[in-house]
Amino acid sequence: MIDFLYEAFVAPWTWGAWMWRGVLAAALIAVSASAAGVFLYLRRMSLLTDALSHVALAGVVGAYLVTGSVGAGAMLGGAIVAGVLSSLLIGKLATHPKVRDDAAIGIVFTAVFALAVILLSTVARDVHIDVQCVLFGNVLGISDHSLLLLTLTAPMTLALIFVFFRPLVLSTFDPLHAAAVGVPVVLVSYGLMSMVSVTAAAGFEAVGAILVVAMFIIPAATAHLFARSVRGMIVVSIATAVMSAVLGMYVSVWTNVYSGGAIVVVAGLIYLLAFLFAPEHGRLRSPGPASGLRIHGALP
Amino acid sequence: MLVVCSVLGDRAAEFFELRYEFVINALLATSAVGLVCGVVGTFLVLRGLSLLGDAAGHATLPGVCAAFLITGAKTLPVLLTGALVSSGVSALAVTAFSRGRRVRPDAAIGIALTVSFAIGVCLLSIVQRSPAATQSGISDFLFGNAAGITRRQVVFLGATSAAILTATLVFHRALVLSVFDPNHARALGIPVRIVEGSLVVGMSLCVVVGIQCVGVVLVAAMLIIPASTGRLIANTVVGVMLSAAVVGVLSAWGGVFVSFLGEGLSTGPTMVLCAAFFFVVALLFGPQGGLLRRRATEGAIT
Repeated sequence: MIDFLYEAFVAPWTWGAWMWRGVLAAALIAVSASAAGVFLYLRRMSLLTDALSHVALAGVVGAYLVTGSVGAGAMLGGAIVAGVLSSLLIGKLATHPKVRDDAAIGIVFTAVFALAVILLSTVARDVHIDVQCVLFGNVLGISDHSLLLLTLTAPMTLALIFVFFRPLVLSTFDPLHAAAVGVPVVLVSYGLMSMVSVTAAAGFEAVGAILVVAMFIIPAATAHLFARSVRGMIVVSIATAVMSAVLGMYVSVWTNVYSGGAIVVVAGLIYLLAFLFAPEHGRLRSPGPASGLRIHGALP
Repeated sequence: MLVVCSVLGDRAAEFFELRYEFVINALLATSAVGLVCGVVGTFLVLRGLSLLGDAAGHATLPGVCAAFLITGAKTLPVLLTGALVSSGVSALAVTAFSRGRRVRPDAAIGIALTVSFAIGVCLLSIVQRSPAATQSGISDFLFGNAAGITRRQVVFLGATSAAILTATLVFHRALVLSVFDPNHARALGIPVRIVEGSLVVGMSLCVVVGIQCVGVVLVAAMLIIPASTGRLIANTVVGVMLSAAVVGVLSAWGGVFVSFLGEGLSTGPTMVLCAAFFFVVALLFGPQGGLLRRRATEGAIT
């Protein structure tokens, strides 16, 4: 029994540095994305993270075409520019009387992602980004460059959330009141989107776009089933995200599947458990009233 | 530069002679995709469910991989049946999960999208390890490869599309009523929940028809963009549907043409960019709120 537990849980750490590096990368992404994800979730903008993560690829490719480099600065700068431009575009489109906000998201990000894929297979072939790698990631073979990028961006994200906690919360729950007491609501909103773009750009090469998007959305949704305050929600969100990252790494090692995929599946299972058994809001605890299916992707 | 132009010109001439059978097959298959996605996408966009199509598209990956792992066959009907099951299940799961407190419908879509795609990624790594499988056939599903479609597959896709179109025509009234005014529809005795469920299943069918040409990642675009373009062109449901279908088919042809010209271009991204081009044109000049027109007729509108 002890031997079995040792083989399953301890041995992988002794097989080489890749386990440490993989867990570190996944945990860093988990922490920064799940903390920012709480605010996006509360603003009903979860799906914007999906869009921005796809758009970040275009930003990186664009930065390469303009500057000729794939250095950290160019990558993150390109991602921020592409992310903010796309959010502006989505916001503008959504004000058109004939275009709904969810359709606006769908139009902009699919078109930009398609452009990025085409550029990658033609003029930007030298950028050495494998599209399949962008989707699935390669957590176990993470490069020094990506790991460094993550160690820089993740604490930065957390620090920004900590410093700007009040304006973030105020403008999330009551933008009018926030504006009245002098919070620059629009600026906060674009700051949040830049944060998402940076996290996505730093993350997708390392862990894959799918894991980044999942870490924005799933832990926050899980936390909402437990939470009574925003602070509590952030804590629960980060905790479940890190838990999924570590457990998912184990699952990936045991079954020899893509780490990014395994981590997301574990996060999904944790959400399912919370959905069913959460103390106050679990379905098996208290049957809630039915409401119609409504999709919001509203931008401020 | 001149050389490049003349080479491209020769390629274009070859394309329009329709000399190659694979070009004709690709055109037929993508036309079917553009047509059904335009028609069904109209209802999704009007109902505010655009991004559910994105989730359904990503959710086909686990089905394709599972079907391959279980049967070991790479024939299209088998793979597409798997795709239909997994995308239908996850789309219906979103609608079920969304009814209730503390679940944001947009987050439900995001969760379904990422988790199902992640399951697909895990299965794909098993597929890629299996010695019997050259994974090329499966990888084509990521970004689409219309050039690899055979005549027999075209017939299969065409028959499925015809079934979707017939069902839409037959239930047109019920669909329109429940999309615009569910309460009124309920009062008329239309089972709105069932109609909504059938719309979701129809969407999954469209996604399944589309994935081979457009790929699982971008198939949602063919549901969303032509239908949104249609809204800028026409003002009635039938009008929107027809213009969406026309835009869908035109983008399909444009996409096949461009990917024929450029080496190594997948058809999916080129089709999506063509559709986006039509959307921008309609946004600027469309009869329904085209930006340049509005400015010209109504003066200063911000």
